[in-house]
Amino acid sequence: MRVRQLKDLLAGRLMIAFAIFSSLLVFLIAIALYWRSKPILEAKSLSDLLLGSTWLPFQGEFGFYPFILGTLYVTILAMIFAVPLSILSAIYLAEYAHENLREKVLPLIDLLAGIPPVVYGVFGVLAIVPLVEYIAPVIGKLGIPFLRAESYSTGFSLLAGGIVLAIMVFPIIISISHEVFRAVPSEIRDASLSLGATKWQTIKHAVIRTALPGIAAAIILGFSRAFGETMAVLMVVGNVPSVPKSVFDPAYPMPALIANNYGEMMSIPLYDSALLLAALILMLVILLFTLAARLVLIRIERSMAHG
Amino acid sequence: MENLSLKNHISIQDLNAFYSGHHALRDITVEIPQKQITAIIGPSGCGKSTFLKCFNRLIDLTDGARASGKIIVGGIDVLDGSIDITDVRRRMGLLPQKPNPLPMSIYDNVTYGPRIHGIKDKKRLDGIVEKYLKIAGLWDEVKDRLKSPASKLSIGQQQRLCLARGLAVEPEIILCDEPTSALDPLSAQHIEQQLLKLKNDYTIVIVTHNIHQAMRLADYVVHLYLGELVEYGPASEVFKNPKEERTRAYINGTFLADLKTDAEINLKGNVCPYNFMYAKQALHDLSNGKLLKVVVDYPTAVTEVPRGMEADGHKVLSVKQINKTDWEIVIQK
Ligand SMILES: Nc1ncnc2c1ncn2[C@@H]1O[C@H](COP(=O)(O)OP(=O)(O)OP(=O)(O)O)[C@@H](O)[C@H]1O
Ligand SMILES: [Mg+2]
Repeated sequence: MRVRQLKDLLAGRLMIAFAIFSSLLVFLIAIALYWRSKPILEAKSLSDLLLGSTWLPFQGEFGFYPFILGTLYVTILAMIFAVPLSILSAIYLAEYAHENLREKVLPLIDLLAGIPPVVYGVFGVLAIVPLVEYIAPVIGKLGIPFLRAESYSTGFSLLAGGIVLAIMVFPIIISISHEVFRAVPSEIRDASLSLGATKWQTIKHAVIRTALPGIAAAIILGFSRAFGETMAVLMVVGNVPSVPKSVFDPAYPMPALIANNYGEMMSIPLYDSALLLAALILMLVILLFTLAARLVLIRIERSMAHG
Repeated sequence: MENLSLKNHISIQDLNAFYSGHHALRDITVEIPQKQITAIIGPSGCGKSTFLKCFNRLIDLTDGARASGKIIVGGIDVLDGSIDITDVRRRMGLLPQKPNPLPMSIYDNVTYGPRIHGIKDKKRLDGIVEKYLKIAGLWDEVKDRLKSPASKLSIGQQQRLCLARGLAVEPEIILCDEPTSALDPLSAQHIEQQLLKLKNDYTIVIVTHNIHQAMRLADYVVHLYLGELVEYGPASEVFKNPKEERTRAYINGTFLADLKTDAEINLKGNVCPYNFMYAKQALHDLSNGKLLKVVVDYPTAVTEVPRGMEADGHKVLSVKQINKTDWEIVIQK
C-alpha cells in the first residue's frame, strides 16, 4: 500500500516537473538567444540592423533588411496562393462534399501535413523551379509590377519559394477552417435558407461570417508556419542577399540565412551574434502570431460551448 | 368538417420521411387550412420536427435523410426535385425552437431576407425594419439600438426578432417548431399573442408539446404518434371528443395532473429514498383507486419515485415538469 501511494505521488510530481520544464523551455531559449545576440545589439543600433541593406560580415556590416523582406515576401506570396484555395477547399469539404468523400479526403490532407519539409524541397527543385524558369520569360514580358523578369530567371526564386510554401500550409489552413465551418451551428444555416437564400448566399453571408474569427486563426497559424519554414524554402528560393524586385528574383529568407551559415566562419566578429539575433526575431514573431491564433481559437471554443 | 368554405393551403399526400434507414414519417395525408393555426401535437420523437422540415425541405440538409410523397403549396409540389426550393422556402417563414439570430445587427437580421432578394434601397429597407419589428412587437424595445448585435437581446426578444426576420420576406405560411419552449412564460405569452394576431394574414403551423398552448392557439390539430397520423380535425372536436383512443390517452395524459386529485403532498427538498417513503405513507392512507399528486424537486426522484410506485403495484398516470425545478407525479393507488 505504502509503495503504491509513494509511486502515485512520485508520478504526479514528476509529470508536473516535466510539464513545467517544457513550458519553461520556450523562455529558456528566448533568454539564451537574447543573451547571445546582446553583443551585436550593443555594437549597432537596432534600426541599423533592421533597416540596413548591406550584408558584409567580413566588413562588419550586418543589415537584415533584405532577409526580413525576403521572409515577408515569400510568406505573403505563399499566403496569397494558399488562403483562397484552402478556404474554398474547406468550404467545399464542410458544406458541399458528401460524408464519404470528406472522410477520404481529410485524412489525406492531414497526411500532407506530415511529409518532411525536405521532401517538399526536392519536389520544389524538381517540379516548381523548372516551371518558374519556364514561365518567367512569358509572364515577365507583360510588364506587370512585381511580375517583371529583368534578367534571366533560373527558377530559383521568390515565386518558387511561395508556391512550395503554399503547398505546405494548405493542410493547416484547410483542416482548421474545415473544423471551424463544421462548428457553425446548423441553426444559422436553417435561418438563412428558410428566408429563401441559396446555399451559396447562405455560406457567403451567414456561415463565413460566423466562422470568420476561426478562419482568421487558421490563416495566422498557416502564416506562422510559413514564416519559420526553413528547409523547403532554402532549397528553392535562390539565397541571394538582396532585396527582390520581382517574384522571379531570388531571395534570402531569415531561416535560410541561419541554417546556411550558422556554424561556419564563426571567427568573424559578431557574426554568430548577428545570426542569433535573426533567430530571436523569428522566434518572437512566430510566438506572437501563434499565441494570437490560439487565443482566438480558445475564445471560439468557449463561445460555442456556452451556446 | 365544420367550415366547408375553408380553403386548404398545404396539401400533404402520402408523405414518408426516412433518416438513413429510420422511417420517421409514415404515409401521412392531411390538409392544412389557410389562415388558420394548425397545431401539431404528439410525444417527443414522434416526427413533429421532421414533418415541418419536409415543408421547407430543410430536411435536405441532413445527410442520408429523404422524403417522398407530395406536399402541394399553391399548385407546386415542394418535394419535386426540379422546383426552385428557395422560392418555396421564402414563402414559408420559420420560427425555430431556440432563437437563431444571425451574427449581425438587429437591423441586418431583419433586412437579411429582403437584401438577399435584391432590395437595396436604404429607405425601403428602413421601412421594412420598422414595419416588421412592429408586427413582431419588438419595435419599441429596440428602435434606439437597431445597429447593436442581435445576440445582445434577451432570448424572448431574439425570438420576436426571428419572427420579424421571417415576416420580412413576406411569406404566406409561418412554420413554428415549439417556438416558446425556450422562453420564459411572459415572452412565451408575447409570442402567442403575436401568432393569434398574425393568423388573419398567414397560415400558421405550430409544433407544440404543450396541450394547453395548442388549446389556446389552434383551430386545427394534427396528432402524430410514432411517425403516423393518428387524428386530424378542428381543435374543438379533437380536444373535446377525440375519435381515437390514442389521442384521448395523449390528451388525458397531459391533463391528468389537472384532474382532481384526492390528496397531494409536497416533497420538495426531500432526497431519495425519503421522498419515496413519504409518498408510500400518503398512499397508504388513501383507499384504492384514489389519486395522489406528489411534487418533487430531486432529479433522481423523477424517475425513481414512479418506478418504485409501479413496483409496489400502483399506477403512475403522469409525470410532468411544472417549472424549472419541480416535477409533478400523479399516482393512482
Ligand atoms: N438527423 C437525424 N438522424 C437520424 N434520426 C433522426 C434525426 N433527426 C430525427 N431523427 C429521428 O426521427 C424521429 C423523429 O424526430 P423528430 O425530431 O421529428 O421528433 P419530434 O417529434 O420533433 O420530437 P421532439 O418533440 O423531441 O422535438 C426520432 O425518432 C428521431 O430519433
Ligand atoms: Mg422537435
